Amino acid sequence: MLELTGLSAGYGGGTVLHELDLTVPTGTVHAVVGHNGAGKTTLVHAVAGLLRPSGGSVRVNGRDVSGRAAHQVARAGIGLVPQGRRVFASLTVGEHLRLSYRPPRPDKGDGGRAARRERIWTPDKVLELLPRLGERRGHRGTDLSGGEQQMLALARALLGSPRVLLLDEPTEGLAPVVVRQIRELIATLALEGISVLLVSPSPTLAVQCADTVTVLTSGRVTERLDGGPLRADPGALHAALELAPTTAAADRPLGSATNTAPVRAGSGSSEESQRA
Amino acid sequence: MAYGLLLFVVAAGLSLAFGTAGVLNLSHGTLYAIGAYTGAELSDGTWAGLLLGLATGTAVAGTAGILLAVLTTPLVRRGHLAQALLTFGLALIGGNLLIEYFGSDAIPVRIPEALDQSVTLLGHRYPAYRLGFIVMALLLAAFGTWVLTRTRAGAAVRAAADDSQMLATTGRSPGAVHTGVLAAAGALAGAAGVLGAPIIGPGPDTGDTVLMLSLVVVVLGGLRSLWATLFAAIAVGEVQSLGVSLAADWAPYLLFAAMALVLTIRAHRSAVPAAAGHDADAASATDPVARLLRRLGPAREPRADSAQRQQTPKRAESSGQPDPATGSRRTAQVAGLRSKSLPRPVRQVAPGLVLLVALIPLPVLLSPYALSLVGYALALGLLAVSVTVLTGYAGLPTLGQAAPFAVGAYTTALLAGAGWTVGPVQVLASATAAALFALVTAPAVIRARGTTVLMITLAIGELTVVAAGELKSVTGGTEGLIDFPPTQALWGGEPLIDESPAYNYSLVVAACAIALTLFFLRSPAGKLLIGTREAEARMRASGHPVARYLLLAYIGAGALAGIGGSMLTTVQAYISPADVGFEIAAFALLAAVIGGTHSVLGAMFGAGLIVFIRDWLSASWPGHGPFLLGVLFVVTVYLLPRGLAGLRPPIQNRWFRALRGTA
Repeated sequence: MLELTGLSAGYGGGTVLHELDLTVPTGTVHAVVGHNGAGKTTLVHAVAGLLRPSGGSVRVNGRDVSGRAAHQVARAGIGLVPQGRRVFASLTVGEHLRLSYRPPRPDKGDGGRAARRERIWTPDKVLELLPRLGERRGHRGTDLSGGEQQMLALARALLGSPRVLLLDEPTEGLAPVVVRQIRELIATLALEGISVLLVSPSPTLAVQCADTVTVLTSGRVTERLDGGPLRADPGALHAALELAPTTAAADRPLGSATNTAPVRAGSGSSEESQRA
Repeated sequence: MAYGLLLFVVAAGLSLAFGTAGVLNLSHGTLYAIGAYTGAELSDGTWAGLLLGLATGTAVAGTAGILLAVLTTPLVRRGHLAQALLTFGLALIGGNLLIEYFGSDAIPVRIPEALDQSVTLLGHRYPAYRLGFIVMALLLAAFGTWVLTRTRAGAAVRAAADDSQMLATTGRSPGAVHTGVLAAAGALAGAAGVLGAPIIGPGPDTGDTVLMLSLVVVVLGGLRSLWATLFAAIAVGEVQSLGVSLAADWAPYLLFAAMALVLTIRAHRSAVPAAAGHDADAASATDPVARLLRRLGPAREPRADSAQRQQTPKRAESSGQPDPATGSRRTAQVAGLRSKSLPRPVRQVAPGLVLLVALIPLPVLLSPYALSLVGYALALGLLAVSVTVLTGYAGLPTLGQAAPFAVGAYTTALLAGAGWTVGPVQVLASATAAALFALVTAPAVIRARGTTVLMITLAIGELTVVAAGELKSVTGGTEGLIDFPPTQALWGGEPLIDESPAYNYSLVVAACAIALTLFFLRSPAGKLLIGTREAEARMRASGHPVARYLLLAYIGAGALAGIGGSMLTTVQAYISPADVGFEIAAFALLAAVIGGTHSVLGAMFGAGLIVFIRDWLSASWPGHGPFLLGVLFVVTVYLLPRGLAGLRPPIQNRWFRALRGTA
């Protein structure tokens, strides 16, 4: 179970993410969709501890991890599959698996220890789920195809036996077959009791696997939709996304913030100079 | 063989720290020296003494490594240059403290008697100690390789080198890995120091010698594998020991020549600068380039109108803004901004003029000695400016600008000796000679990027100094050149014997050289260099002959350093290899960094500060010049991340803020 309350984050002086509230109950998939620059990756990095939030809190199963270093966040049970895979170039697949395997320390006073033990992801269990990696054991991370790298990145996150899994654009640049495979994997992981936070610019993937969909616009939540009705009629999400303006567009919909959208310091100067 | 293996153990630590923790540790030689001194103190000729020394030396150097990790952690995002400066400063401090504590004489080392004899093997006699050392070093190589390639800890170390953020997401602390690696590297150096003390004994030069040699080993062997390092170390050891016995004077020359050769070949093989790192690319993203292209637009127009018109649609496509209206509006804006900031040239020139006005009356105010120091600082300042041009503008961090500096200095001295004493002739000849030198060495430098440049230029600098020391008939060897007639400021002018006219002369020369440099850097040429540094691939893709820009920058910087060298000779009336050595190159780099690496005047200030501390302040605390300079290095790295330029009211920022205000 992942709970974000009032989470804010940004780069330099500028704020990208504004007081975001979001809950991913255990065993569900929550998708965050939005255009480029809406703050999706910022959200993922802030949760994973790669970016220090400027406000708000991140809780995993009730435990506050906001402001902790990335490795502490990981140990608290948050796994990350980053955008662009970022597998280790000089490690073989086998070494990835060995390095990442980290059985969680048993919680004290945790009654259902037997149940917890079943949720420990061992290399064998991961390979059962992702058999392709087993065939590629001796290959280096960067020698793999894009789809295999994505599997490896997923395996790396799973081997820490996470309770929350962050997926940042997991289908970026992959063939339709692999996309379908990943979609099925996401469903399997939710069944295993992992809370999945999926971030993607593609509404299709969100509709297909999410229980809840949040639309992020300029770092703020502009729409929250239930997965069930969406699967029957994805039109609502498409409508929400088409209405959602990109950060640079001047015409903002009624009801959204009236002041200038805060943007990243780097791109800000050039955009604002254009507007000037 | 033992010599080479000793180098291997030291270089392995250096390579480990650099390759996996990303710290270019210039204090590695000092860690070795710490081990060597500890070993020499504690070993009293018994086995227990040797073991005690080994344990203590390893522990002390390992602790120093941990300290180093703590000190470098805040600098992780600042790149190799900041770390190199920090560790160089620490090396200066450490070396000074060691000399203070142990004295400046080499200390004899006693080893257990059992090892202090010869063993006959295959008909030859070998010293037992060296044999034992060889066995230990080989075991160490095997063990190190095993740890790095076969254990989880080793995998974590390699993963940290690849992507430390992703290592953190697997629940391992990158900081712990960083500390562990540096501690292990320190311990290796310390152990090598204790055991190697009988081979390269503890003395005041130990740290520098060991650092230089192990840098050569690391460069030759690359960072790929320990075995490559091992072979490189043995090769270097053989060249050193054979070279010393065959042609004593040329041994170091052979070594650095081999290093330059290997680096050049390797740089040519991988023409695409992979070492520059994709992180930097990702960080600068597309925005600065777009901004830069926009600014370059007007500048490129007069050059080739038709070619530009052909390129325009392409550029618009690639930047994803096909709307010509926006483009023209933007150009109009840029023009508007230009006219609004008309006083900008005035503002830019003002600090230089203020500095010049402040420097003119100094002959009246200062004692002759102080005045000669200021003159010296001006010469070093020009050197620092040439480093700024290369490091800050062209993106080629250099430790070798002392080489063209030396060429200029010797040219002037030789010309004066041959009767050519007219100042402008000397300056122009020195600049030309240094530019030619740069032209010859350029192929080795401009293809490489990043830390490789530091190492190649280091090799070039060392080669030049060695050559200056060896060519006795031309350069007077290590004695240097002296007794040549003083320079005349102009044709038929008085010889510049006194400090005051010599100072005035060097001030005029420096002012002209700097005005010329500023003119170039602020012209579109300077912008092209910045573009090359920030986003080389994009510059290439938009049709810029990047290699030619860098070549011109390198030659120009060489000429500038040559002018500085000419001034040095005029001011000192003396020149020797010690004036153009590695230390001077490092000072020039520090001066450039103190100045903020983008600021020409800042570099001059930096040079002044360094001369002030080294020659003026240390006079009141004798024997601690290196210590004070080391402190200066450390303080600069921590307190002035953007140098002195970061302290002055930021013109750029004000400009941007004005822009935001109108938005």
